[in-house]
Order: sequence, then structure tokens, then C-alpha cells
Amino acid sequence: MTIIQNISDTLSGKIVKPSESLVHKTTHLMQDGMKARAFGEYEKPKALGDARWTDELILSTWYMAETGEVPDNLNFKTGKSDGGFDRLDFQFLPESDWLEHSEAIDTKLPLNRRGDKKNKIEIDIPWYGGGMSYGSVSVNVMMSRAKNAKQWNSFMSTGEGGYPPELYEVKENVITQVATGYFGVEEETIQAAPIIEFKYAQGAKPGLGGHLLAAKAGEEVAKLRGSVPFVSLFSPFPFHSTYSVEDHSKHLDWIETVNPKAILSVKVSTPHDVDMVAVGSYYAGAHIIHLDGGYGGTGAAPEIAKKNIAMPIELAIPKVHKFLQKEGVRDKVTIIASGGVRTADDIAKAIALGADGCVLGTTDLVGMGCTRCSNCEGGPSGRGCPWGLTTTDIELQEWVQQDWGAKRLDNLYTAMQWRLRDILRKLGLSNVRELRGRTDLLRYIGKEADE
Amino acid sequence: MLESSTHVGLQDTNGPLSIDRFGAESARIGREIADGYHRYHIETEEVDDADPLPHRFLVKVGKVGLAKLIAKEMVTYFPQFDVILSRPCTYGVFSGPVGGFSPRPKLCVGCLRCEVQHPDFVKVLPNPDLLALGDSYTTHGHIAAIDEEAKKGIVPVRGQGYRGRFGGPGFDGMLTDMSEIVRPSRDGIHGRELIGTAVDIGSKPMHLSFDSNGKLSGSTPEMFTIQVPFIFDLPPGDLGSPQLVKVVDSTSSRIDTLACLDAHTVARLGLDAPNVVPVLDNTEASRASEFPNARLIELRSSPGRSWGWDAAGFEIANAVTDAMIGIRIHFEEGWQNRLTQAVESGVKVIHLLADLHGCGSDGTFVTELFKEAHMLLIEQGRRDTVTLFGGGGIVGADHVPKAIISGLDAVALDLPVLFALQGRSNGSLRHRENVSGTLPVQLDRDWAEQRLTNLCGSWRDQLLEILGAMGIREVRRLRGEFGRSMVVKHLEDEAFEGIAGYVGGDC
Ligand code: SF4
Ligand code: SF4
Repeated sequence: MTIIQNISDTLSGKIVKPSESLVHKTTHLMQDGMKARAFGEYEKPKALGDARWTDELILSTWYMAETGEVPDNLNFKTGKSDGGFDRLDFQFLPESDWLEHSEAIDTKLPLNRRGDKKNKIEIDIPWYGGGMSYGSVSVNVMMSRAKNAKQWNSFMSTGEGGYPPELYEVKENVITQVATGYFGVEEETIQAAPIIEFKYAQGAKPGLGGHLLAAKAGEEVAKLRGSVPFVSLFSPFPFHSTYSVEDHSKHLDWIETVNPKAILSVKVSTPHDVDMVAVGSYYAGAHIIHLDGGYGGTGAAPEIAKKNIAMPIELAIPKVHKFLQKEGVRDKVTIIASGGVRTADDIAKAIALGADGCVLGTTDLVGMGCTRCSNCEGGPSGRGCPWGLTTTDIELQEWVQQDWGAKRLDNLYTAMQWRLRDILRKLGLSNVRELRGRTDLLRYIGKEADE
Repeated sequence: MLESSTHVGLQDTNGPLSIDRFGAESARIGREIADGYHRYHIETEEVDDADPLPHRFLVKVGKVGLAKLIAKEMVTYFPQFDVILSRPCTYGVFSGPVGGFSPRPKLCVGCLRCEVQHPDFVKVLPNPDLLALGDSYTTHGHIAAIDEEAKKGIVPVRGQGYRGRFGGPGFDGMLTDMSEIVRPSRDGIHGRELIGTAVDIGSKPMHLSFDSNGKLSGSTPEMFTIQVPFIFDLPPGDLGSPQLVKVVDSTSSRIDTLACLDAHTVARLGLDAPNVVPVLDNTEASRASEFPNARLIELRSSPGRSWGWDAAGFEIANAVTDAMIGIRIHFEEGWQNRLTQAVESGVKVIHLLADLHGCGSDGTFVTELFKEAHMLLIEQGRRDTVTLFGGGGIVGADHVPKAIISGLDAVALDLPVLFALQGRSNGSLRHRENVSGTLPVQLDRDWAEQRLTNLCGSWRDQLLEILGAMGIREVRRLRGEFGRSMVVKHLEDEAFEGIAGYVGGDC
């Protein structure tokens, strides 16, 4: 009977929770394949990569996630986008002046600089995981990221899709996001989090709000969002209760009432007046100003928005950094940059341009197998990511197992921290905080270098 | 934009109006208003392909390798057929009658799971036939986007972030701005449901004058309105077949815009109508009288003559028709003088033309040229007395708002029409007169009209996305709003100033 059922389900294409054997077979094939590619056992897939995430960047990320080390024979530092991070490099000291390997290099980053009575939070690495909502990704992916965040004394944001109960296990490392649809925002989830993130806008679709397609809003997703299964869900733009910085301040006060200890992050995209937005957020009470640049990741966004609206993060960071300096408040607020930050080199460059730290999203996904195929929104199958990442499909989500995912990310972060320290060592800095705003340590590589 | 019932009054009643009667009348009026309510909208509908583009990927499967895999899995997993029959592709590439032995590459989206899982015998390759489409400016990427937009009529949405280069030349070097809290409206989900895309064609006086009795004494607005800020331009090169002309004509009528068409063709095919803009050579200006239904007629320099301003032609045409007379001016040396002379002579519509790579004869890109034309008119205190159309290099939805920000009232579309109808080009697409292309052999009129309508619907919706992000409620307000854009080069100068090796202008 089971055999007949199996055959008929398979042949009819009916999607059922996969058997243990099927999960075993599939995950092994996928993982072995990734490993073989990362180790260069086969030529690079011809269709892999794009200007921002080249084939070598993807494969080197797989390599780091596999081994915890940076590769020798792949470019793990830059893409080929012909601008921004990809045209910046470091001006290292002569080798004789590099710090010794034995010297401890501190990568810690304090997130609360206001000197108030709220949580004094310091993370071990100057980056944390950006918001990916339940619905856009599975619980397995969320838990992989959250477990890794715990391992690294860092954080991962829920995104706007609710707070799956599993997350309470690692709540000390989870940021609750409050976004315009208020999905999953409850007293309990606000009280659980050491950091609350207000998402005003997202770099990949600034000013446009969000849209979870019906196919991805399954039973569980709908339950957590207080909605009806398989009905599209919109996060409008903007907060319909915010018309001014004063209204924004009211939002932050509201959180303070519910969770007086939580520190507050304000996530904005990068319009022309991003500097004014940042200073307004600071005066409204934000501890973290999270700038999300135009080339950032997304589960789904109009192509026209990704390419055209708002500025890339590399161009926004110095603008905000310098403006806050002029206002005399730069040391009272943490600037976190995201939206196209891919590698340890990008993180170091972002910090040298004036950020304190970064948020990673796509990098985590690539670490767990993403090939940047851009089908996260569902693709023609409507089921979401074939690699089991940006999907809640009952079969596909099983391709990412929590412990495997967490281990991949742990390895990846190990290699990235090593590389960050390597950069600092070659710049003669024993502390990542000393790198902030040091544009004198950067150099721009013009087109002539390509010839 | 809103075309509500204009006159819905209480109907004559016999005797006093009772409460009941008043209620019934109110309901009737409400119904009539609701029935008469019409908001401008472009009806899109997905249509099949007539001549599909080459698919994105080629999928190659080694048959021996596959046979060995199946044999091995039969032995290892029997009788678990769910395991044995499971395949990496969730898109059905290997779900044909004989599975991976005859893959269906048109379904492939390039996720690469198959190639990563089975490196010994599966390869997925970018399709060179697709990569070869177009030319150095109008790339296969533009063509594929237009094809998708014309097929589905929706805003292309995908997962993951931007994949392309950082900034870039031409339109890519311009970004559009957004506001964190300002919305065009708080109504609707995102506030963009009420944005207007109508533009006025013609002339408005820069100010109103009144006589001592308070009556208007000076000139009054002389214009008409179209519902989208893009029009169809003369089909370039050899594309102006009667088939294509008829499709452009009917689509422009359907979506309430304009189609610039060769005047001889208009006459021959009997297409004279308010949505059609017959284009006449200057030497034939007197023939303007032959198009009594046209609201706008354009004049161009006669073949073989340099692009000079021909005041005589304009006057002749003006004398024989009530339609507005527009002048086509190419961005060739001295265009600024010709523009000024034309406007001084009373021309109300100027149609500016760059080559199809968006460049003037001196190589300047259209964003700069449109801006210069717009500023010239502002400096002369005449901007609102003239409508500026512009074309050349508009091959992506983002080019429309960027051209309007640069100073245009409306954008003229040329090559997108060819690709919306699944035509193919041959050779360079730079010079209008040399463009060569072919349309699908069986060009069904309804199919083609729906494709072109879908493209317009998609581009309009994408324009709404851009306007919504800015918090602007109508496209007319976007004209010449340079402050709503950001130039990557300028941003780089500000951000990277002082960084060793950065010299600026490296774009
Ligand atoms: S669908 Fe999966 S593999 Fe493809 S880009 Fe999205 S997350 Fe990455
Ligand atoms: S690349 Fe992905 S979509 Fe294409 S055939 Fe392979 S598994 Fe299917």
C-alpha cells in the first residue's frame, strides 16, 4: 500500500513531506555537490554568478562554509560590479609593519553608545544577521541563522513575519522586527528581544513596501501572521502612523513602554536625504541606525526598484558618517550598513567608509547553498527556493537542516573573522573600532588597473 | 483621470419629495455615480508567445551517467519510489515523458541544483542565442525584459538583490530618489493607487491676464491630455510595415496616447484619427489639411536636407489646419538655435530626437540633452508654453521616469515596439534609418495589440512604483525635477573624495 501510495504521489507530482530516506539522499547529493564545486573538483558552472556575486565569490563562500578557512585559488574578496566595494582596496602597510599573528585583534562591537540604562550589548564580530521573515524563509533557515548568532554572540533579525516558537530557545540573540504590516508584533515578542528593529524601508525596494505572494503564505505562515492561508500579504509603505520624526519618536516610546531595556534600531533605506533621516532617528532615540543600500537582498522585489531607487550603501555610509560627525553625535549612535555587503573585505571597507558594523543576509544564504538564481519569490513552480532556503514548501524546506545550516554559517563566520583580522593586522590596527571612518586606509582602483 | 458621471441630478418628481422618495432617489444617484465611475487603467492579459525568445539556458544531460544513476538508485533505494524517482529540478525540466533523457530546457530557471548535484553528467549553460540578441546598447537583457512585460503585462518581480553593475553609463548612471515617510496618498495599500500619469500636450500661458471687467484677456491654454507619458514614435528603419502601423495605431487609441506615423501611410491606410500624429516633410506642409481628425501633426526636415528649422513649412501647415503643429528636431549641431527659433515662432510641441543609443551627434547622452532643452526653455521663461517629447535610447521601463526627470513631458517609444511584438533585429540598432528587423510571420492583430498594451501597462505600473517611492502624486510634477534623481558620479565624488586614487568622473 505504501509503495503504491509512494509511486502515485511521486508520479502525480503531489507534494508531501519527504521521507527520511529522501531527505538523506537529497541533502547528501546537494552537500556533496557543493563541496566538490567549492574544492574545485569540477570546473565552475558556466551559468553561475553575476556582476555582484561572481562565480568565484559564490564558490569561495561555499568553501569557507565548508572549511572555516579562506580559499587560496578563488577570489573571495570582490565581485565585478565595476564600482563601490569592487573598486576599493586597502592601503596595507609594508609587510615589516604588520602586526604579529600572535597579537590579539579585537573584533567586538558595542551596539548601545547612548550611555542610557538600556541593555549594554556588545557583539563579538562587527556584523549580525539581517531580517528574513518566516514565510520568506523556513523555520529551519531561521534557526540555522539564530543558532549561529548565539554561537558568535551576535544577532539575527526575525524580519517581518512573526516569531516562530522555536526562536524562544535563542531569544537572547534574536532581534524582533517591527515593520509596517505589524505581522507577528505582540507584547510577548517585543519583550523577548534585547533589540527591537523598526523597519521603515528595505534597500531592495525602497518606498514600496512588501508583498508575500499567496503561494508562500501557507498554513503556518498565515497562523503566525494572523492571516488566512494562501492569501497574499502586504506590508504597506510606509508606517501609516508615521508622518514625521515626532511620530517616529512616538513609535520608539511605545516600544520602551513594553520593553524598557530593549535597545532600538531603525532600519532605513538610502534616499538623497539619508543623512537627515539618520540624524532625525538619532534624536528620536535610536541606538542603531541601520542603513540598507539599494543593492540589498530581498525575497521578492520589482526589478525596477532594485536597480534604480535609492543609492548603493557604499555611497550612503560616508554621507551619514560625516553628517553625524558634524552634528557632534557620531559617537552616541551605531551605524550599521547593509545592502550588498557580501564579504569580510566589504565589511572592512564599509567600516573604513564610516560604518560601525554591517548586517548580512544574502551571504548567509549563499553559505547555505544559494546560487543567486533569483527565484526566491516562488519562481515558475510557485514553491520557492529549490535549495530549501527561501521557501516554506513542506518538501523543499527539509533540504536545509538546522544543525547543518548553523555549522555552515559558523564555518563561514570563522573564515570571515579571520580575514577581517588579517586586514586589520596588515593595516596595523589591533581593534576593529579603530578602522571606522579611516578612508585614508583605502584606495580607489581606477579602470586603468583593469588594462 | 477620474471620469465620473458629470450630471446626476434629482429627477423631476411630482409633488413634494417624501423621505422615502428622497432615500430612493439618493440610492439611484449613488448607483449612477458608481456606474459612471471610471478610473484610468490599462487592461492587461497574459498572451502566448508567437515567436518565443531563445530560452535562457541550455541543459545538457549525459545519458550514460543518468542511466547509471538510475540503476544505482534502484539498487540502493528499492522499493522507495519516492526516493528513486525524485529529481533535483522543481521546475519540470526532467519531468517529461522520458525524464532527464530528454530535458525541457525552456523550463529551466538556472538554479543549478542539477549541475551541482550531478556534476558528472549535467551541465547548464547560458544560451548563446539569447546573448546574441540586440546590440551593445539595446542588450539581450532589455529585450528579454520587454518580452516578459509584453507577454504578462505585469511588473517583473524576482527574488534576490540586484545582479548588475554598479551605476554605469547613460540611464544607469542615474538613480531615482525616495522618501521614507511621504506618500502620494494614504489611501490604498501603498498609496500609489491614486497616482496620475496623464500629461497635457500643447501650450499653457505662463500667466493669466484679465481685463478691467475681470474677464480673461490674454491667451488661454491650448492643449489636450493623454493618459500616459509615453507615445509611439515613427517606426525606425524598415519596421514601418502596414501591419505594424495598424497595431501601433489601435494600441495608441486603446490606451489613450498618440502614435506618430508617416503621413503617407496614414493617408493610404485611412488612419486619420485623434490618436494619430501624421508626420510630414516640411516640403509637404500644405498636406496638413488632409488630416482633419488629427490633434497634432509633426513636421520634419525633408530627406537629404540638414535638420534646419523651416519657418515657412510651419506657417503653411498652421494656415491649413486647426491641429497643433509640432516640430521634430534632431540633436545635431545647432539644435538649441532651432529649438529657440521654433518656440519663438509659436511652435507648441517640440519632438527631440537622439540616435537609438540615446546620443546626440556630439556623443552627449539624452539625459543631459533633455535637461539642456528643458533649462533653455525655463531660462527663456517659456517652459509651460511648449510640450517636449523626446526619444532615442528609451528601451527600459526605468528610462521613462529618468527621461521625464531630465525635462521631458512625454517619452517617445521606438524599438520597444519591435521587441514587444517578438520581432528580431539584424545588426546595429543605433541609427534610425538603418534599423532592420523582422516581425513574426503570422502577426495576429489582436495578439499584437494585446502585447503592446501589456508593455504599456507594465511600464505604467513601473512608473507608478517609482512615483510612489518618491511620494509624488502625478507624473506632471516629475518633469525636470532633477532633485528627484541622484547621479552616481556625483554621489561617488562626494563619498570617495580624498580616497587615494579616486580622481572623480570615472564613469
Ligand atoms: S531561490 Fe534560493 S538559490 Fe535561488 S536566489 Fe533565492 S535563495 Fe538563492
Ligand atoms: S538548473 Fe535548476 S531549473 Fe535548470 S534544469 Fe537544473 S534544476 Fe532545473
